[in-house]
Amino acid sequence: MIRYIVRRVLSVIPTLLGLAFIIFMFQRLIPGDPAVAMLGEHATEENVARIRTQFGLDRPAFLDRDALAQGDFSGFFDSQFVRYLGRLVRLDLGDSIHRRIPVAETLAVRFPATFELAFLSLLIALIVGVPVGIVSASRRNSLLDGVAMIGSLIGVSMPIFWLGLLEMMLFAVFLQWLPSGGRLSSDIQLQAITNFVLIDSLLTSNMPAFVDAVKHILMPAFALATIPMAIIARMTRSSMLDVLQEDYIRTAKAKGLSERKVLVKHALRNALLPVITIIGIQAGTLLSGAVLTETIFSWPGIGKWVFDSILARDYPIVQGATLLIAVIFLVANLLVDLSYALLDPRIRYD
Amino acid sequence: MEIDLSKYKGVPDLALPKQRSLWQDAWHRLISSNTARLGMFIVGVFVLSAVLAHFFWEYNPGTDLDYTLKLKAPNLVATEEIPSIHLFGTDKLGRDIFRRTVHGGWNSLRVGIVAVGISLIIGALLGLFAGFYENVLITPVERILLMGLVGFALGAFPAWIARQPLQMFLFGGLGAFSAFYVNLLDRRRLRILIFAGIGLLMGAIPSLLVGPLVAAVCGILGLAIGAFLALPLGGQLFSNIVMRFMDILLTFPGYLLAIAIVAFLGPGLEKGMIAIGIVGIPVYARLARSAVLSVIPKEYNIASQALGASHGRIMFRHIVPNILSPIIVQTTMGLASAILSAAALGFLGLGAIPPEPEWGAMLGDSYRYLTSGAWWAVLFPGLAIMLSVLGFNLLGDGLRDALDPKLRA
Repeated sequence: MIRYIVRRVLSVIPTLLGLAFIIFMFQRLIPGDPAVAMLGEHATEENVARIRTQFGLDRPAFLDRDALAQGDFSGFFDSQFVRYLGRLVRLDLGDSIHRRIPVAETLAVRFPATFELAFLSLLIALIVGVPVGIVSASRRNSLLDGVAMIGSLIGVSMPIFWLGLLEMMLFAVFLQWLPSGGRLSSDIQLQAITNFVLIDSLLTSNMPAFVDAVKHILMPAFALATIPMAIIARMTRSSMLDVLQEDYIRTAKAKGLSERKVLVKHALRNALLPVITIIGIQAGTLLSGAVLTETIFSWPGIGKWVFDSILARDYPIVQGATLLIAVIFLVANLLVDLSYALLDPRIRYD
Repeated sequence: MEIDLSKYKGVPDLALPKQRSLWQDAWHRLISSNTARLGMFIVGVFVLSAVLAHFFWEYNPGTDLDYTLKLKAPNLVATEEIPSIHLFGTDKLGRDIFRRTVHGGWNSLRVGIVAVGISLIIGALLGLFAGFYENVLITPVERILLMGLVGFALGAFPAWIARQPLQMFLFGGLGAFSAFYVNLLDRRRLRILIFAGIGLLMGAIPSLLVGPLVAAVCGILGLAIGAFLALPLGGQLFSNIVMRFMDILLTFPGYLLAIAIVAFLGPGLEKGMIAIGIVGIPVYARLARSAVLSVIPKEYNIASQALGASHGRIMFRHIVPNILSPIIVQTTMGLASAILSAAALGFLGLGAIPPEPEWGAMLGDSYRYLTSGAWWAVLFPGLAIMLSVLGFNLLGDGLRDALDPKLRA
C-alpha cells in the first residue's frame, strides 16, 4: 500500500516535467520576439538586446552545445528551459508584461476566488447529482427517470457561457433579484483574512457581507455546476444500476431489509467509487470552465484574468495560470487515485 | 414433391427467422429508440440547413451591415419602421440573426468534423498500434524497424550535441543489429555490458574531433543508449512511449489546452480546429487501446495468427471491425464536445475572426447588449449550440445502446 502511494506520487514528476515542457514551448510558439513585445515596437536595439540578456532570451532553448565544444561544462546546461525550470522550482512564474508585477503574487490573490467558486459548484453538483442518480436508478424507466436523464443530457450539452447569460438575463436583468457580476458589492466592507469571501465574512461575523457574497456567487456557481451535475447524475445512475444487479443486493432484499436501507447502506457505498473518479476529472472541467464563467460574471478569479491576459497578449500570465490549473488538476487526480486505494479494500496494488 | 407455399400465406414462418447482419441489427435497434430518432432528427436538420445555406443561400459577411436596423427585436410582419422580416431579430450591426445562425452552422460543423477527424485518425491509430503490439509478439522485421528507429531517435541527441549526423546512423544501426541478433550473447549482463561499450565508442570517438568534453558527454550518452538498446525490448516499449505521452496531454483539463494553444497561435477557425483536434487525441488513443486489449484474446485473433496472417491483416481485417462500436459512439459524442469547445473559443474571441458568422463568436459579440434588453441576440445563437450538441449527444447515446453487445440477447 505504502509502496503504491510512493510510486503514484513519484509518477507525477515526469508528468510535471512534460507539463513544464509544453508550457515552455508555448512561449516559443508566439510569433515575434518576446523582448520586442515587452518593450513595444519602437524600442531601440540596445534596449532590446539588454532585455534579451536580462531575461536570458539570448540563450539557446534547451542545451548549449557550443559552450560544451569550448569546454564549458556548466554553460552546457545554461539554457532558457533549464532557467525556466529553475524559476519554477523557486515558484517564480515571471512578471506580467504590462503591469510588471510577479505573476505568482497575483495568482495567490486571485486563486481563492476561483477555488471558492469551483468548490461551491462541485458541492452543488454533488448535492443535486448524486440523489438524482440514485432515484433514477431505483425507479428505472419511470417517468421520473426519463425526465432526470433527459435533463442531464441537456445539462451535458449546455454551453455554460450561454447558460450563465440566460441566468443573468432572467435573475439580474428582468427580475433583478441577483447582482449581474462581481464578487462583492462595492459598498460592502470586508476585512480580508483568507481571501475566501464566504469564510472571511463568517470569521468576522459580518452578516451583510455574507449575504451579499452569497448573492454574488449563486449564479456563477450554478452555471459552473451544470455540466458536472449532469455527469455525476448519469454516472451515479449507471453505477447504481450495475451494483443493484449484484447478488448481495438480492440477499439484502431477501433478508427483508427496507428499500432505503438496501439502497443507501448496501448499494450506494459500492456505487460511489466510480463517482469519486469522476469528481477528479470534473475538477478539470470546473477549472477550465471557470475561464468562461468568470468572464461572464466578472468574477475576479484566475479564469477572468487569463481571458483578459489573452486579449492583452500578456503571455507570462497565461503560462503561469495554465500551469497552475494543470497542476491542480494533476493533484486532484492524484488524490482521487489515492483515496480510491484507501476506500476500496478489494483493490490491492502490490 | 413440391410444397405449395401459397397455401401458407400469412402464416409466420417461425422456423426461418429473417436473417439480419450485425449492423442491420444495430440499425434496427437504433431507429426503434426514441432518443436516437430525436437525435438523428436534430442532427439532420442542422446538417441539412448548414449545407443548403452554404451552397444555395448566398451570404457575404463582409458587406452585411445596416445601422438603421441595429438591435431590433424579432418581428414576424414587416412594418414601416422595419421593412424586412427578422425571425430572430438583428444584432448590433443590424445583421439578421436568423441568417447568421444558419450560416454559422456550417462553420461549427466544419470545426467539429475536422477537429474530430484529427483526433480520431491520430488517436485511434496510435491506440490500435499500442494495444496490438503490447500483446502480440512483434515479428523480427518489425523489431528491427522499431529498434532501428529508437536507436536513430536516441542517437539524434549525441549527434546534435556534437554536430555529427553520422552518430544517428551509427546508433540506428546498433539498434537494428541488437534486434537482429536477439539471442546473441545469451547472458543478459554480458550482453548489456558489450552493447554499452559499443555505444560508448560510437558516441565518444567521432566526438573527439569536436573536443574532449563533448566526447566525454557523448560517450556517457552513448553508454546509456547502448545499454538500453541491448535490452530485449518489443511492443511494450512502443505502447509505453505512446501512452505516457497521452497521459501528459490529458493532464490539461478540458479545453484549457485548446484555449492556451489558440491564445499563443493567434485566433482563427483553422487554428481552433487544430487545437481542439490535438486535445482530443488522447481520448481516442486510450479508448482504442482498451478496446483492442479486450478483443485481442478472442479466438478469431488467435486463429488468424495461427494461420500466419500478417499483422496488418489481423489489425485491419479482424480487430478494427470489432472495436468500431465504441469508437463510433465516441466520435458522435466527440462531435458534440468539439462543437461546444469551438463555441467556447469563439465566445472568447479566439475562434472565427469577425465578421465570419459562428455561434460562439455571435454570443461573444452581443452579450454586452443583454443589459439593454437585447435578449434575442443571446438566445438564438446559444440555442443553436445547445440543440446541435444535444442532437449529437442523443444520437451517441442511442448508438451506444444500439451497439452495446451487453444488450444483445
